[in-house]
Amino acid sequence: MKIPVGIPVFVAAAGTDPRFAKMVSRWLVSAGVWLLFASVVGLLEAFRLIDTEILADHAWATYGRMRPVHTMTMLFGWASMALTGLAFYVVAKSTLLPMHEPLSKTELVFANMALWLFNIGVGVGAVAMCMGDLNAGREYREWPWYAMAPAFASVGICGVLFYRMVARRAVQGIYISCWFVMAGCFWIAIVVLMGYQTFWTAGIPDRIIDGFYIHNAVGMWFTPLAVGMTYYALPKLLNKPIYSYALGVLGFFTHLAFYTVIGTHHYIFTPLPMALQTTSVICSVAMIVPVWASTGNFLMTMKGERLAISHSYSLPFLLVGVLGYGLASVQGSAESLRFVQEILHFTHYTVGHAHFAMYVFVTFLIWGCIYGLVPRMTGREPPIALVTIHFWLALGGIAVYVVGLSVGGHLQGESWVDGEAFMESVRVAGPDRVWRAVGGLLMFVSHIFVFVALWKMRPGAFTMAFGGGQS
Amino acid sequence: MAFSIHTNHRVLFLLPAGIYLVLVYLCAVWPAMQEQAAMEKIPQPPENELVARGRELYGSFNCVTCHTQQIRGDERKASDNDGVRVVPVLEADARFGRELATRAEEYAWQAPVFMGTQRIGPDLSSTGRRLPEAQWHYWHLYDPQSVSPDSLMPPHRFLFTTEAPTGDAQYDYEEVQVIAGLGVSGGKLWAKPDAVALVEYLLSLNREYLETEGLGK
Repeated sequence: MKIPVGIPVFVAAAGTDPRFAKMVSRWLVSAGVWLLFASVVGLLEAFRLIDTEILADHAWATYGRMRPVHTMTMLFGWASMALTGLAFYVVAKSTLLPMHEPLSKTELVFANMALWLFNIGVGVGAVAMCMGDLNAGREYREWPWYAMAPAFASVGICGVLFYRMVARRAVQGIYISCWFVMAGCFWIAIVVLMGYQTFWTAGIPDRIIDGFYIHNAVGMWFTPLAVGMTYYALPKLLNKPIYSYALGVLGFFTHLAFYTVIGTHHYIFTPLPMALQTTSVICSVAMIVPVWASTGNFLMTMKGERLAISHSYSLPFLLVGVLGYGLASVQGSAESLRFVQEILHFTHYTVGHAHFAMYVFVTFLIWGCIYGLVPRMTGREPPIALVTIHFWLALGGIAVYVVGLSVGGHLQGESWVDGEAFMESVRVAGPDRVWRAVGGLLMFVSHIFVFVALWKMRPGAFTMAFGGGQS
Repeated sequence: MAFSIHTNHRVLFLLPAGIYLVLVYLCAVWPAMQEQAAMEKIPQPPENELVARGRELYGSFNCVTCHTQQIRGDERKASDNDGVRVVPVLEADARFGRELATRAEEYAWQAPVFMGTQRIGPDLSSTGRRLPEAQWHYWHLYDPQSVSPDSLMPPHRFLFTTEAPTGDAQYDYEEVQVIAGLGVSGGKLWAKPDAVALVEYLLSLNREYLETEGLGK
């Protein structure tokens, strides 16, 4: 075993355009703010399933309205903004652009404009939904169109910027991270267009588009971005090449082929076309190929690096994230099977799975990339004690949360199969709703540490002094 | 090598984009168009302003977060499977006021469809048949636990008022028959127009229209 000897972060960071660093940091700090806000809302919702009287006299804060505030802000405010911010850095580095000026002045203006457009979208969306203007029954697109429009424009701008960066790369080959970033931006644009053009469908067709939207919004945006970031951060932090580049390419194309089609597995046993249902189940199972192409690739890269991982404060996040990707996806494949759906559909188990995927997979990878890469951009490291506490609180919190909801979900499902009174299925999951709130509380506390760490890593005097020639 | 995906960013952009567009057409746009054409053969249900307003409110309060409007059907279990009569996946779903699974016709012309994904609360696809009393729904909206102990539903007291409506407005309000468990001081309670519309919508979920059209049980 060896401890990889990389260059110190302040050496890596020297010469980075301070305005570029500030721009990336703004994306990440914004994401951190939304993470805190959405956690508070999520926690509030968890406690309301214990005490229904919390904020009960306010129509704007009713349970149904706050739930999409939690999900939409987490998905788009936190995960999307963090991944987009990281993508600027990763694309610039992996295309070997000169770090003293990775983006031109005009491009920087656009990148900052995209940042504020995205923030406006997330904020307007949350307020609008509290006021009751939400696309009910259309999950993960509850924002009214005027909230999604700025966010959509923002991703469009970023997509163009990423494309331009890749186009003027200083190396012939295009690294796999850029594949995922460029494709992800295009895919999510199509997904959002499909999700918001609702005039031409009603009834069952409305649900066909819904199934497509739900799963493509997750899998054709968060997954490619998070996996793409990891393809850059993991070899960089271990100071060695990725185990197999070909596996990455295999993962990319099989992901595209299978993931696009699996949306209808949210509507098994419904009047949706049977051919579509069956195709979605088959492709859900086939997802094992792209998932383990990437997961296996990452794990093989980490093989023999136990010492390096245990001495790093960012690699443990990546390890958990990679395992989370593999496990959450296998769980997802299993959940699509009809005999599993019979019992677990409609239960808390699904909510546990959603959190497992978005948290243990996407969010842990984001944190690993942030802690690993941002110091190399700004020259400032977060307090290690703080990151350690964050790691264990977040991991403990999500473990309690997912185990609680999985057990609760099973109890609910069994109660329905046994034909007990409906209220019995509500009562039987009572203790697990408490565990859910406890887990949520731990996660929320850990997010305070994330925010402090993000703040400590922001560009400061070092970046100004040793940054690129523009300052 | 000029057209290699590894070295040509145009190819790298266009190839996944093109494949994706084809797949999106095949797995979403095309089936949706097919089903849309089939659905448009079903006559549109009669319009009712109050029900439409109630449906809007059902969406605005995002009731679909906790309540499904679908009984899943297992076509493998149906003995007389003619594509219409499908046996529910869960036998116990009969408690929601129906013996058969929900069918495409029930969702015709609805946009969005409130099929839902979670059952934190019970299914509402036939709630108008199961609980046909408007007063029960008022009690339940005002204080869910008064009629359904241990319910997780938050009270919707903001849809009610204890001040008697005056003038023309009073025609849009409904007086609630106050029962002991509600804990209303003064003993008088009125459902605001929004509550009236919401309950009207819930009561409309009874499949009566489908039966008059001969579209089955």
